[in-house]
Amino acid sequence: MSKTDKTEKKVFGLSARTSVLLVVVFILTLEATGIIQFVYLQRAIKQEASLRAQSELNSVTNKIMDVVNQAEGAVINSVWVAEWCLENPDSLMRVPQRVVELNPVVVGSTIALVPDYSKKYPLYSPYAVRNLETGEIETLSLATENYDYPSQEWFTQPVALGKGYWSEPYFDEGGGEMLMTTFSVPVTDREGKVAAVLTADISLEWLTDLMEHTQPYQNSYNTVVSRSGKPMLSTDAGNQGIEGSRTLVYSTIVDRTGWELSIVIPKKDIYAGVRKVGAVVKLLQILGIVLIIFILRMMKRNQMKYKNLTAQKEVMESELRIGHNIQMAMVPKTFPAFPKRTDLDIAACIVPAKEVGGDLYDFYIRDEKLFFCIGDVSGKGVPASLVMTVTQSLFRAISSRENSPSKIVGSMNDLMAEKNESSMFVTFFCGVLDLDTGHLRYCNAGHNPALMVGGGESAADNGTTVRVLPVISNIPLGLDTGYPFQEQETNLSYDDTIFLYTDGVTEAENATFNLFGEERLSAALGTKCDAQGYLDATRVAVNEFVGDTPQNDDITVLVIRYLNTPVKQERHLILHNDIQQIPQLADFMETIAEEKHLNQNDTMSLNLALEEAVTNVILYAYPDGSDGLVDIEAVLREHSIEFTITDSGFPFDPTAVPEVDITLLADERSIGGLGIHLVRQIMDEVRYQRLDNKNVLTLIKNI
Amino acid sequence: MNITIETANGTTTAHLEGRLDTLASAQVTPYFDQLQEHADGIVVLDCTDLTYIASSGLRLFLALRKVAISKNGKVIVKNISDSIRQVFMMTGFLNIFEIQ
Repeated sequence: MSKTDKTEKKVFGLSARTSVLLVVVFILTLEATGIIQFVYLQRAIKQEASLRAQSELNSVTNKIMDVVNQAEGAVINSVWVAEWCLENPDSLMRVPQRVVELNPVVVGSTIALVPDYSKKYPLYSPYAVRNLETGEIETLSLATENYDYPSQEWFTQPVALGKGYWSEPYFDEGGGEMLMTTFSVPVTDREGKVAAVLTADISLEWLTDLMEHTQPYQNSYNTVVSRSGKPMLSTDAGNQGIEGSRTLVYSTIVDRTGWELSIVIPKKDIYAGVRKVGAVVKLLQILGIVLIIFILRMMKRNQMKYKNLTAQKEVMESELRIGHNIQMAMVPKTFPAFPKRTDLDIAACIVPAKEVGGDLYDFYIRDEKLFFCIGDVSGKGVPASLVMTVTQSLFRAISSRENSPSKIVGSMNDLMAEKNESSMFVTFFCGVLDLDTGHLRYCNAGHNPALMVGGGESAADNGTTVRVLPVISNIPLGLDTGYPFQEQETNLSYDDTIFLYTDGVTEAENATFNLFGEERLSAALGTKCDAQGYLDATRVAVNEFVGDTPQNDDITVLVIRYLNTPVKQERHLILHNDIQQIPQLADFMETIAEEKHLNQNDTMSLNLALEEAVTNVILYAYPDGSDGLVDIEAVLREHSIEFTITDSGFPFDPTAVPEVDITLLADERSIGGLGIHLVRQIMDEVRYQRLDNKNVLTLIKNI
Repeated sequence: MNITIETANGTTTAHLEGRLDTLASAQVTPYFDQLQEHADGIVVLDCTDLTYIASSGLRLFLALRKVAISKNGKVIVKNISDSIRQVFMMTGFLNIFEIQ
């Protein structure tokens, strides 16, 4: 059990480690792709934002340039008029009037004479302005005491530069109350001398409008800064906080006016899309991780389930194996079964179709009788195996005190039928063979009849006679209490074999669903051999017949070959415990030799064995000086001679004396032990029993 | 069982005749004691007329052989019958004795 636990833990640990690793790798991969994706996406979006801002800036610049061009055009196109009017300063008033009149973008205009250019008007600057409410053009003069126009930027710069100049934007207080800028150009007289400056005032209200309507991102805003760095306007309404590193700024400078236009875009606006995508990706990643953990858990659960199943299967298999071993331990399966016996030759085998089976056989000797049985439980597998063990145990228990096969079978049947709720039954054959006489009593409980294989005198040289043992079928065990089982009997001769089998043999199927059958079985037993030989012949024939077809029923065979012959004659000799009587054995042996037509060598060796056994009794069985008897009985059979030596002396089992080592050199050998050694060497069977306070030594020699 | 012993040229020869069974062995033990005295030389056990031998007889042979070994003598078993040869074989005596 501890071994299984260990393996399980190891498998469990390995699996957990693998799944954690798997999840970690999965997360890392997701993260890496996420980061790469994010970086590239950010770069692309930034590029797109830049393009978008540039295009907005271009469009705004174009619109500004439109106005700038219009304004410049308005002024420049009127310069020639101004030049023409220079000679008549009074007429100069017409020029700014015309500029305003003709150009809607121009709010106001003036033509300012260079001081002292005109003798009549040392300072002269008539100003035309559009009344924004009425649309009428009003005129006034800028050359007042409060306003020193020659020092104004719009005047000095074009004069100094000798070309058109855009003034710094300024807030027009008292006039339009709005942001203004002025374009001014120098006007030269015929001599090429700068005589005046012609200006056009332009409201920058439209610029504010334009900038306010330019908003590529939700929270982006625009700024305009003048040439000198003075902030002109900003559309930044509520985002003052967003500056510096948290914004991206795109700028351009407008030609001629020198204004710097900027679009300020908060980063969060630009990357809002990326963030959204990032959030979705993150969500998907988490979902994926959750999913993979879930899948791993499922896998683990399945694995555990499988492992449990495997473990359960292993437990079951091991239990079945144990069951098999228990079953096999119940049937005698050491062969030769009775190595010391010469009158019996037994072979058997049991081959369950599954791990455990419902076939059984048994045999044992009690009171010189062989009790044997074979049985086949209905059904297969575990249920059949349980009934098998019950049947086997009942046979042993009941036959231990009952000699009649029909009574054994009857008692077994009663016990089994009484509590047979599963209606299982056992076909059973029980026999009791008297080993001395060869008298067989048997009772069949629905089992297939045994075969009698004759290898003795009635058979041909190497052949056998095979016949079916006549049986009254009766009924199987376990069906009906009190059923009167009928017993039968027969006599076995020397080399008669009882061949018992279960229907697994005759009903063995080959690939074409043919059955092995009784004829093939009889044929397989046609050659004379020993019990194991008959068993092997059957096995070979069945295997050849079925080929690769799997076995579908338990196969059991029990072969009992009887090698005793009926008693032909008996001889008897009683000696006193005196070695003077030893020579009588020679005479006794001589009469036996005559009767059995023994040759001189056999006679001598039998005499020797008998003498050694008897001498042993004479010398050691009784206390020194006391009188005791040695009873010697010789039973002569067709194929054997059996001596039974009985004394009522000290209990002594000569068969328990250890063997002498006859390979030792002379000086190493002990003097004793040779007698029993010779007995063992000469006789085929040596048997000792202590019966009724007597030592009974049986010596058998096959002839 | 008859046993006759003669000594010539340093060789002692015992003629064994009849059945050397348990009783006979007991009876001939003095003769074998006598043979043991000659065991410093060559002792020949002539079995030409020996028809039977029991383990008690074999013991006499073995005891004589052991004495011969201790006295650097020699025991030769001569002319054993087939049945006695078989007994010698069963007991390993064929390897212990010089058989002629």
